[in-house]
Amino acid sequence: MKADGTIVARKLCKSFGSHQVLREIDLTVSAGEISCIIGPSGSGKSTLLRCVNGLETVDRGVLRVNGEDFGYVEKDNAYHAVRPQRLTEQRARIGMVFQQFNLFPNMTAESNVMSGPVLVKKTDRRTARERAQELLAQVGLSGCGHKYPAQLSGGQQQRVAIARALAMDPSIMLFDEPTSALDPELVGEVLGVMRDLAHNGMTMLLVTHEMGFARDVADEVLFMDDGIAVERGDAREVLANPKEKRTQEFLERVL
Amino acid sequence: MSTTTTTSPTGSRPLPGLLPEHKKRITPKRPHDYLCWAAAIAVVAGLVYTTVTNENYQWPVVFSYFTTRSILDGLLLTLVLTVVSMGLGTLLGLLLAIMRMSHQPPISGLAGLYITFFRGTPVLVQLIFWFNIAALYPNVSLGIPFTDISTPVDVNALMTPLTAAIVGLTLNEAAYMAEIIRGGFASVSRGQYEAADSLGMSGFTRLRHVIIPQTMPAIIPATGNQVIGMLKGTSLVSVLGVAELLNSAQSIYARTYQTIPLLIVASLWYLIMTLALSVPQSMIERRFSRSTRRQAAVATATKESLL
Ligand SMILES: Nc1ncnc2c1ncn2[C@@H]1O[C@H](COP(=O)(O)OP(=O)(O)O)[C@@H](O)[C@H]1O
Ligand SMILES: [Mg+2]
Repeated sequence: MKADGTIVARKLCKSFGSHQVLREIDLTVSAGEISCIIGPSGSGKSTLLRCVNGLETVDRGVLRVNGEDFGYVEKDNAYHAVRPQRLTEQRARIGMVFQQFNLFPNMTAESNVMSGPVLVKKTDRRTARERAQELLAQVGLSGCGHKYPAQLSGGQQQRVAIARALAMDPSIMLFDEPTSALDPELVGEVLGVMRDLAHNGMTMLLVTHEMGFARDVADEVLFMDDGIAVERGDAREVLANPKEKRTQEFLERVL
Repeated sequence: MSTTTTTSPTGSRPLPGLLPEHKKRITPKRPHDYLCWAAAIAVVAGLVYTTVTNENYQWPVVFSYFTTRSILDGLLLTLVLTVVSMGLGTLLGLLLAIMRMSHQPPISGLAGLYITFFRGTPVLVQLIFWFNIAALYPNVSLGIPFTDISTPVDVNALMTPLTAAIVGLTLNEAAYMAEIIRGGFASVSRGQYEAADSLGMSGFTRLRHVIIPQTMPAIIPATGNQVIGMLKGTSLVSVLGVAELLNSAQSIYARTYQTIPLLIVASLWYLIMTLALSVPQSMIERRFSRSTRRQAAVATATKESLL
């Protein structure tokens, strides 16, 4: 089973009804690379991210994740959908962090982190709990394992969510505006955890409005507008000297 | 001006004693507060007076029949009907809810039709209808399609009053339970499904460990209400001649003409049973109450045992 931590998309298309949300998107993320997707609201950033772990299905184009076609196998001039079980295997190697955290409210922080290993990988509980405690410590939350999500702040919840995704030992992490639902003073603690992850060589694809973070940490930036990949390139280059007019206008508005 | 410490913030008069910020705020009782009490006490006193002094209540008769054999048997049958119809109704309701949530329009449409029909007609009518179903289908034959194996069934013999009662109550309850269960599932956000999916959970694991526990705070209190409603609703089957609590009381007063005392006997028993149920019900409701920290309620209600 390959898990080389790469994402390749070629001419990716996705429509909701008659509304084309992704128009021939090209994207390459190499192993260990940090890639940021930026762009105005409704431009298809979340949809692109969600295609990468199969929360949305792709209509057309190539999508290869971890070195293999994602969700489909190519056979006789067509892509055939894989069995659900195969899809869950592919998904388990991709961690996803949501804007609204989406922790399981019926489980403690520790159980949330253990849920993937125990329920999906069938890891024994002792090992899973030890790992969960390690991960919670890694995101600065040792001692909070017994708390329920409702008892944690937004920033703490998002860090638990990151630990939960990491517990599956993913080769790729996806983040969809992980700090957008947070009070400003809590943004830093989550970005700090993400920064650590980036330094440890995790492949990361993230949608964010934190331009400072993108500039500091990202290798590549993809600017999307209205379903089109308008500009793609070196993060600092794109953010400092955008070539496209639409990118310039967007950056002027957000910076 | 004044150099003494206690001046009011407005700087007007020096005040003796407490600082203004330490003073109690008092809302005086107004006449209508006392009036409400007086009215309520008067009503209760009047009711007590008439129940005690009006001979027609025949309290001695009430007490003499309160624990007669046939009343207690009726009580037992009422409880059995409640448990059986509620249990079967919940199972069928679950099936209907699943059908209703199906992405296949014919399936969800069928369930929708069922729910509309059974919620849109009175239970009493439904009960009488089931009792008389033989007029519609006198004989049905149960068998395996495309084989010769089949047995004819005499519907008239099958549809005893008790069967009709259970069938009627169950089918009606299922429609309500389906809506309650569906509401429970609707209360779980899409993000929960997506989070479970993103961890690679299978459909069953997702349902069992993530979704179902979270539907409980919406489903359990509503189901408690249904149980209480069902307990009282079973009195309707007395019209079919099923000897449950009300029917047992009726059978006695048909002989003795002590109508009121026996209706009081039945009412007291219903009251005792609903009160007995409402204690756990209100505890459950408090625990699951939506307004006060729903997430914590989910947590305490369905301790997930990954630990
Ligand atoms: N499930 C869906 N059904 C229909 N339209 C959708 C769905 N999800 C997203 N869209 C539409 O697709 C467009 C892009 O959405 P999204 O990817 O969420 O944008 P972004 O994350 O950049 O704000 C929006 O116009 C949105 O309304
Ligand atoms: Mg979005």
